[in-house]
Amino acid sequence: MKGTMGKVLRVDLTTGDIRQEDIPDEVYENYLSGVGLGAHYLYKHIPAGADPMGPENILGIVSGVLTNTGSLVTGRWMAVCKSPLTGGWGDANCGGTLAPAIKQCGVDAIFFTGISPKPVYLYMDSAGAELRDAAHVWGKDAVEAEEILQQECKTKKTPKVAVIGQAGENKSLISGIVNDAGRISARSGVGAVMGSKRLKAVVLQGSGKTEIADGDGMKAYSKEVATKVKNANLPKFFKGFLFPYLGLLMSKQKKVSAMDGMLAAMINKKYGTCVVNTMGMTNGDCPVKNWQGSVVDFKKKQYKKLNPDNVLARETRKYHCSSCVIGCGGICDISDIKGGKYAHTHKPEYETCSSFGCLSLNDDLDAIFYINEMLNRAGMDTISAGNTVAFAIECFENGILTEADTGGIRLKWGDADAIIALLEKMITREGIGDVLADGVKVASQRIGKNTEQFAVHVGGQEPGMHNPKLDPLLGIHFSDPTPGRHTIGGAIYYNSMHLWKEVSWAPEVTKYPKAEEYIPSDREALKSIAGTAYKMLTDSAGGCFFAMILGVDHWNLFKMLNMATGWDLSADEYMKIGTRIQTVRQLFNIKHGVDPRDSIPTGRVKGDPPLTGGALKGITLDIEEMVRLTWKNFGWNENTGVPEDKLINDLQLNELIE
Amino acid sequence: MRIRVYAASFCSFENIDRDGYMVLPDGAVLDDVYKRLQVPWLYRRIVFATVNYKKVSLKTRLQDGDVVSFLSALGGG
Repeated sequence: MKGTMGKVLRVDLTTGDIRQEDIPDEVYENYLSGVGLGAHYLYKHIPAGADPMGPENILGIVSGVLTNTGSLVTGRWMAVCKSPLTGGWGDANCGGTLAPAIKQCGVDAIFFTGISPKPVYLYMDSAGAELRDAAHVWGKDAVEAEEILQQECKTKKTPKVAVIGQAGENKSLISGIVNDAGRISARSGVGAVMGSKRLKAVVLQGSGKTEIADGDGMKAYSKEVATKVKNANLPKFFKGFLFPYLGLLMSKQKKVSAMDGMLAAMINKKYGTCVVNTMGMTNGDCPVKNWQGSVVDFKKKQYKKLNPDNVLARETRKYHCSSCVIGCGGICDISDIKGGKYAHTHKPEYETCSSFGCLSLNDDLDAIFYINEMLNRAGMDTISAGNTVAFAIECFENGILTEADTGGIRLKWGDADAIIALLEKMITREGIGDVLADGVKVASQRIGKNTEQFAVHVGGQEPGMHNPKLDPLLGIHFSDPTPGRHTIGGAIYYNSMHLWKEVSWAPEVTKYPKAEEYIPSDREALKSIAGTAYKMLTDSAGGCFFAMILGVDHWNLFKMLNMATGWDLSADEYMKIGTRIQTVRQLFNIKHGVDPRDSIPTGRVKGDPPLTGGALKGITLDIEEMVRLTWKNFGWNENTGVPEDKLINDLQLNELIE
Repeated sequence: MRIRVYAASFCSFENIDRDGYMVLPDGAVLDDVYKRLQVPWLYRRIVFATVNYKKVSLKTRLQDGDVVSFLSALGGG
C-alpha cells in the first residue's frame, strides 16, 4: 500500500529467529501504521495475562504512514508494548532522526518477542537484519552506547540508534528508549520492557524510499506549510520575562474562543516548550510541591530563575527533528556545571524543568540541566522520576523516610544536591533507589505507612506537568488507556486545531464562557473524543503534537494522508479510524485486566483537596462525570468504560477480539 | 471588507461575527482591529497580532480576506 512498506520485521529474541511478515492492506486501511498498527498487532498477539516483563510481551518500534514521504513534521517513531507500569496498553513516542530509518530498512515496524539469553542488539539495513552481541555496550549509558554502536556499524552513512541506558537495563518501570544522543521515548515503562528482553539497542542503516500516491501534491503542500512556518516569528521585543504576564492573562480569561495555532509555532520555534516554566506558574498550569502547592509556595523570586531566556542562554545551536520545519530542539552547553561531567545536553523540555523545578521547589536551573542529561543518558523518564522524587521528599518531611532509609541523604524541598544524589541511587537501584525506581505507586506499596496519600499517579503512571484544573479537558485525557498522559489533548489545543471545519461531528468553538469548560457536558465530551481520535491519527502518521496543534488550516493530516495513500477518504472516515485505534487501546486494557475506572484522575490531580492558593485555588473537578459523558459519547459503557457491542460492530472489531 | 480575526480570549468579541470575521471599512489598518477588540493599551506590548502570519506595524493597511491572528500560548513538553 502506498505510504507504507507493507511489512514488518518480527524478532524472537529467545530463539534468534528473524523473519519478515507481510501486513495485509486491510490492516493499514483500518489502522494506518504507527500506533494503529501497533495496537492491532499487540492486541492480536499478546495473550491475556502476559507478564509485561516476560517473553510473551511484544515490544514494537513503529513508524508512521507519513514518515519518509516528503510530508512535513512527520518524523516521530513510537514504542509500543504492554506497559509494566500500568499493566495495560503502553506507548511512547519520540522525535529526532530515527523514525525514517525504520522505513528506510524496508519495514513499517519491528516487533520483538521473547527474551535473549545474553545482551544483544539488532542491526538492520536494506539487505536484512541480524542479532549481534552487546556485551561491550551493556552497562554503558545511552549516549556512550549510541556512539560506540554508530562507530562500529558505520558504512557510508551514520546509522540511527535506539538504545536503553542503565535504567532500562535495571528494568526500572519508569525507563524509556533513547535516540539521537539523549532524546527519549519516555513513558509507559517501554525501556524496562526492552531491558527485560536483554535488547540493548536497535541499529538501523537502510536507504530505501517510501512510495506515495501523489508526490507532486505532497511537495506542493509541504512547501505551503514550510512557507507559513518560516514567516511565523516572534518579534524581537518579545522576551522571556513576559511569559508570566501572558500566564496571568490566561488565568483571567472569561471566555473561550478559537485560536490560530500557527502563532504557537512562533513560540516553539524560538523557545521550545520551556516557556511554560514561568507562564505556568501564574496561570496555575505548573504542579507545585508534589501537586499540593501553588505560586504561593514557589514565588516569583524563585520561578523567575527558570525564565525561558535563562534556558536559551545555554543554547549553542538549534536543531530540527527529521522533516520538521518548526525546530523546537536545541543543544545546550553545560560544561561548567558540576565540574564539567557533561559537555552538553538537549535543551530541557518544560516537563523536565517543572518536574525538577516547582514540583520539588527547586530553583537551581543549572541542576535541572545536569539532571536532564543524567536522566537522558540513564534512559529514565523525567516526568515519572520528578514525581517520584517529590513523593520521597514528602515522605521524608513527614518522618516516614529517614536518613537511615535514604543512605544518609537528607531530603528536603528545593535541595538540588539531595535530589541528584537520590536520582543516582534510583538509576543504579542502590538502597532507597531500588524502592523508588519503579515510580510512585510501587514505591508507596513498598514503603506502606499510608504513603499512598502522597503518591500522585493516574492508573499507575505519574501525570505530566499540566494541571487539569486549568484545562478540565486535559483531565478527561488523563483517563486515556495510557493514563496520566499530557500529550493526548486538551481544550487549549482543541481550540487551535479547528477540527470542526473538516469533521462533521466535532463541536465548533465560537465563543463561550470559560466556566462552561468546567461543567460536564456532551459538547466537552465530544471535543475530547474528536481530539483523541485526531491524536490517534497523528500518532499513526508519525506526526508531531506541535504540528497537530497548528490546526487543520495549516497542517492538514487528512489531506496529507490522502496524498500519501492515494485514498479519497473524508475527514469523518479518517476519524472513524482514529476512533477504532483508541477503542482497541481501551480493549487491550480490558483484555489484560485493567479496569478503566482506575484510570480516572483522583486526589490532588482533580483538586481533592483543592489548592489553597494560586490561580486555581478552590477548584475541584467533577472529573468522574466528565469521563462518564465521554465514554457514553464514545460508545463505551458510561459506567465501566467497556466499549459497547454496537460500537464494536460499527468498527468491525468482532474478528479481532474473538 | 471582511477579515478573519483569531482574537485572544480577553478581547471583546462584539465586532466579530459567528464565523470569526470582522467587517471593516476600506482603508482600515491593524490598529482599527485592536480598537474594535478593545485590547487594553497596557497589553499592547505583550499581546501582538500578525497579518497573514507576518509581523507588521499597527498602521498597516488591511485587505479584504486578510487573516489577523493574536498570539496564543500553548503548553506542551
